[in-house]
Amino acid sequence: MKTIPPVCPEPEGQKYWRSIDQLAETPEFQAMVEREFPQGASELRDPVTRRNFVKLMSASALLAGVGLTGCRRPEEKILPFSKQPQGYTHGVPEYFASARPTRGSAVPVLVKSSDGRPTKIEGNADHPAYQSNEAPEHAGFKHGGTDTFTQASVLNLYDPDRAMRFAKEGKDVQREVALDYLAEFAKKASQNEGDGIYFLMEQSSSPSRLRLQKIIAEKYKQVRWFSYEPVDLSVADEAASSLFYRDSYKVEYHLEQAERILSLDCDFIGSEQESFRLMRGFSKGRRIEKAEDNMNRLYVVEGLFTLTGAAADHRLGVATSQIIAVAARVATEVQRAVGGKQIADFTEIHRSYKFTEKEEKWIAECVKDLVQHGKKCVVCAGYRQPQVVHVMSHLINQMLGNFGSTVMLYSAPKQEEGTLQKLAQRLHDGRVDTLVIIGGNPVYNAPVELDFANACKKAKNVIRLGYYEDETATVSTWHFPMAHYLESWGDVRTGDGTLTAVQPLIEPLFNGVRELEFLARIGGLTPTSAYEIVRETFHEQIFPGKAKDTASEEMWKRFLHDGFINGTAGRSAAPEFEKEKISQALSKIVLDLPPTANALEVVFHRDSKVDDGRYNNNGWLQELPDPITKLTWENVILMSYKTAKALGLKVENKENNNLQVPVIKVQVDGREIEGPIWIQPGMADFTLGLALGYGRTRSGRIGKGTGYNAYLLRTTHGIYIASGAKVLKTDAMHPLATTQDHWAMEGRPIIREANLEQFRKKPDFAKAMQMEEPSLMPHENPDGRMYPNPLDKANDVAVHAWGMSIDLSNCVGCSACMVACQSENNIPIVGKDQVRNNREMHWIRIDRYFTSGLPWKKDSAPWNADKDREALLEANMADPQMITQPMLCQHCEKAPCESVCPVNATVHDQEGLNVMV
Amino acid sequence: MAEQTNLKLAPPPRSLERIPLVQNNRSIGWISDQIAQIAEGKTPMWWWLAFIPSILLATMLFVMLAYLVSTGVGVWGPGHPVMWGWAIINFVWWIGIGHAGTLISAILFLLRQKWRTAVNRAAEAMTIFAVMCAGIFPVVHIGRVWFGYWLFPLPNSNSIWPQFRSPLMWDVFAVSTYFTVSALFWYIGLVPDLAVMRDRAKTKIRKFAYGLFSLGWTGSNRHWSNYEKAYLILAGLSTPLVLSVHSIVSLDFAVSQLPGWHTTIFPPYFVAGAVFSGFGMVLTLLIPLRTICKLEDVITMRHIDLMCKVTLATGSIVGYAYGMEFFIAWYGGNPFERTIFMNRAFGTFWWGYWTMIACNVVFPQLFWIKKFRHNLLLVWILSIFVNIGMWFERFEIVVTSLYRDFIPANWGYFRPTWVDIATYMGTFGLFFTLFLLFLRFLPVIAISEVKGVTPQADPHHPLGGAKGGHH
Repeated sequence: MKTIPPVCPEPEGQKYWRSIDQLAETPEFQAMVEREFPQGASELRDPVTRRNFVKLMSASALLAGVGLTGCRRPEEKILPFSKQPQGYTHGVPEYFASARPTRGSAVPVLVKSSDGRPTKIEGNADHPAYQSNEAPEHAGFKHGGTDTFTQASVLNLYDPDRAMRFAKEGKDVQREVALDYLAEFAKKASQNEGDGIYFLMEQSSSPSRLRLQKIIAEKYKQVRWFSYEPVDLSVADEAASSLFYRDSYKVEYHLEQAERILSLDCDFIGSEQESFRLMRGFSKGRRIEKAEDNMNRLYVVEGLFTLTGAAADHRLGVATSQIIAVAARVATEVQRAVGGKQIADFTEIHRSYKFTEKEEKWIAECVKDLVQHGKKCVVCAGYRQPQVVHVMSHLINQMLGNFGSTVMLYSAPKQEEGTLQKLAQRLHDGRVDTLVIIGGNPVYNAPVELDFANACKKAKNVIRLGYYEDETATVSTWHFPMAHYLESWGDVRTGDGTLTAVQPLIEPLFNGVRELEFLARIGGLTPTSAYEIVRETFHEQIFPGKAKDTASEEMWKRFLHDGFINGTAGRSAAPEFEKEKISQALSKIVLDLPPTANALEVVFHRDSKVDDGRYNNNGWLQELPDPITKLTWENVILMSYKTAKALGLKVENKENNNLQVPVIKVQVDGREIEGPIWIQPGMADFTLGLALGYGRTRSGRIGKGTGYNAYLLRTTHGIYIASGAKVLKTDAMHPLATTQDHWAMEGRPIIREANLEQFRKKPDFAKAMQMEEPSLMPHENPDGRMYPNPLDKANDVAVHAWGMSIDLSNCVGCSACMVACQSENNIPIVGKDQVRNNREMHWIRIDRYFTSGLPWKKDSAPWNADKDREALLEANMADPQMITQPMLCQHCEKAPCESVCPVNATVHDQEGLNVMV
Repeated sequence: MAEQTNLKLAPPPRSLERIPLVQNNRSIGWISDQIAQIAEGKTPMWWWLAFIPSILLATMLFVMLAYLVSTGVGVWGPGHPVMWGWAIINFVWWIGIGHAGTLISAILFLLRQKWRTAVNRAAEAMTIFAVMCAGIFPVVHIGRVWFGYWLFPLPNSNSIWPQFRSPLMWDVFAVSTYFTVSALFWYIGLVPDLAVMRDRAKTKIRKFAYGLFSLGWTGSNRHWSNYEKAYLILAGLSTPLVLSVHSIVSLDFAVSQLPGWHTTIFPPYFVAGAVFSGFGMVLTLLIPLRTICKLEDVITMRHIDLMCKVTLATGSIVGYAYGMEFFIAWYGGNPFERTIFMNRAFGTFWWGYWTMIACNVVFPQLFWIKKFRHNLLLVWILSIFVNIGMWFERFEIVVTSLYRDFIPANWGYFRPTWVDIATYMGTFGLFFTLFLLFLRFLPVIAISEVKGVTPQADPHHPLGGAKGGHH
């Protein structure tokens, strides 16, 4: 379990569980808690807001339902339906396999289709990405977990603000005219071999797209390709590939195999590549039921406070820029411990860093543990870390013998595309004739020094395929509406390389163009149908060089039915990193100075809700409380308690219910942004956490006016970490909407913890932590009631008794269940003002509590002296642990809500479930 | 029953003589004139001075309600976790005020407390108007008020019935029954007096209107006989309602499983509180009324004194209940219950709790002393305190149990919106508007009943019966 676990209480002793209430009982903290109650009904600046949101949501619902007369079933066959039309029952949902493409990977999904309209997304449990994760005893329950983004992505399909028209210079153009233009463009391009044509795309693992790119590149020799992701999750792959001369690799971690995990700023629970799979693998190692069961152990080094840090058994807070030193130190120690031939000298890298005693001890213990579990452990680094940290993490894995067991390398096609920096250079040089932007939103999210908006204006012609008419649309000559992935034919490869299908559940709602079709049209290729293209690619990949026959046809059907083809995973390679490449990768590493109050460090991170800004107009995600801060509808400037104190900032709630926080200016290299602050316990000191994806200038009705734009501070050199930042105070205050601002459990045994050893000693520890409460005359009444209800006997003969349990040792607080519940039950959003009034409508919420785990003695009450009180508070805030607990309907057998509801809105059904009407 | 006897009895000593209910030996004619003239003649200035602000406030109420219905219940303050806010506080508060009327008219009638005759009409009117004010809140809080009738068990094609196990449902029946019976009772009592008004009326409209509503009353023996029976039956019907309405209102809380609500003491405690606040309001209204309308001889100091005693008694019962709640919270050993009560007294909303204790428990204790009971200004101020205290009692019960429940992650804070406040203020407007209209159009005191308790009405009294004297 967590660091320094408190003593497990014995049943006969103190029954109160007191690991959590320390914070609460300091008068200072009490005062702070008092001040920081969220909400405030006093100011109904716009009481109508909620209705607006409800209207907007019902617009989405209309799109999904009655608003669309007639069916929009895809014209091409989707197998289960076409084979069994007689099995179709109106109103009974069907499920189709598909996948949600992500940056360079995909989430395999099963999509629930209600009368031809996709309504809910689940993971495709048959997919190999889920297979290795299933514990044998749970194999009967096939669940494919997903993540918040996947769950919420269905709402984007019905977004009334998505691009719905073909536009030339902002004016509506008929679809046919626009498509004719593409054909003409292709014809013209073929005359000069595509000279001056530049493509900018998002990362993708689609073999079809790769194939089209190749065909176009052959046809038009002068065409140039570029790709850009504002949050690039492929650093680990690039680091691995950089250790070889020729080959290109993808790295895949198998946390389900790992008994010890060291995360170097790797937030695999929230924001890394294939988080949905890693989370699952991790939780498999946490699942214990019997005293003999084993658990994995997670070490996390990080600068921000992430869900992975919250799940850690041992967490070390280190400024994000200094994690290189920790990685190098771990590498040094592991190398020493393992012995054998020296791979590289890591000491140079961490020489200038002064490790504290605590850090020394922490690293020593961690390394000892890792080495003991060689081959059964894993070290992974996060996307925010520079490539060298990833290189070191690969080398440590190699030294520990993890490759082949917990870390896999799959050979993957080399990325040929150029970087955005090079493209911007050429644009500024005026060498770009036509810029084709497919997806993305570079005008909003490109590094600020590239001045991409103006760069685009230097191109003669900008053709864009975009899902929204966003910032980038303003610089586009032509704008084409993009089809949602649930409207698209496509293919992807998941992390391990398994070929996975992307199939449409519905015809494009606003005649959106599919990415593959767009590429084919702009390249003047035939066929232009995305379906045909995908089929072609499929045949080429599975039956290379063979003619189409019955077997290939059957295989295609299988592909569509299952959503993937087994056995198409890449071959895992045994790595032999090139010595020369290693020393090359580790040379000339300069460690930044640790941040101070005068030179703060800014960390840009992918937002847990709107990603890099692509989900900015998604109401479910905007209203989803951030898993850690529980803030909704915007981003804040995160900082530790000590940092805030050093900067003279205080989060204060003057009116006791109207949460207002100070607004500060953050300056880096002469650039400046302004945003509200938030004190995040556990963050590294003198670090500011800035979530990306907000402050959009052209978003939809949902995303408009949410948060500040952190991209305005972000340059190529400080893409994730910028140092030397300064903070200026302003007089402004900003209202925030948080759904839970109470941090402590007030000594109540709500979440009951024990570590593995304690659990083994006493598997029913949780029961022993019950609060002391005398039962009512138990000697007279075995069921403990003073007045037994004669009707109870009749109640107890129901056929079923249902129970629902959530394994809290597995819950990581990712909040996907909250979005899933909204998606499944069509729960409206209410908007920021109403969240401030505590009127969010989520049916599930995730409670989170912080605890310091500091040793505690009630009698010695250290806060009696003022000086000590402050110190205690600071210590508590410095290194807390976080615990999450999902709260939802408990489906009580004798539900108190049922007997008091005057209108029968909550009733018991025949099966004994508590249902809400 | 007295048998004829030769025995001569000396008249009782003066100290044992009953104090007459109408002072200064006022004649029966004076009673009719004095009471009826309030509703006759030119409208006095004081009436307009009171009426104009009242009607403005009442208008504000309807503006607020229109705003609420057109915008949504979100304009009120409740939110998670305090889902019940001012609406239920005000509802319970007004319902509580409505209790004095029926108690005075029904229970005191059955107990042959003759002093009730001077105050029962005004108290009943107050009851009806208070229940009307109370009823506004549950009706509009449902948001889509046009579906309010769904609360009644009407047969429908979906065969969906209201949830009869829900105390909120019982509330619908309890309050609507209470209102109906109170209104009927009030009207029946009015019939003979309406006839008096009819007979005194000078204009055609008045003659017609009073004539219509006095149902052809002639004062014949048959009429009186039927009237007395009907009145008795309705008194019998009303009596259980006095106890049932507020018991059921208290069950809205007590049936749920929230610490601070889930207690068996709630029904009697709520009834006592309701009578307490009702008498508070009666005093608040009648003390100025008797002075302005010169009714000191009908609503005498003895009446005030008796009502003060009732207030003292019920206030002490309420105080006992507060104490008992704390004791049970400790004695019951439920840690959540303990926390809630400690929090009520010493938590964020401590000021509400101590206002309540001061107004409901401490100040009424002054009524032990006769001197204070006879100081009209003091009694009037204390009666207002009673109502303030009772409002805070409901506030404490509603808010403090909700804002910090079992799971700390759930904890919140409650704050009313301006619409909450304006709506509540508006109900005062409605209440006083109706009450002032009542003063100007209906006999404010039951004329016939007061006449019935004068010495002249007693056939055995030297002045009474047909022996001498003139009606």
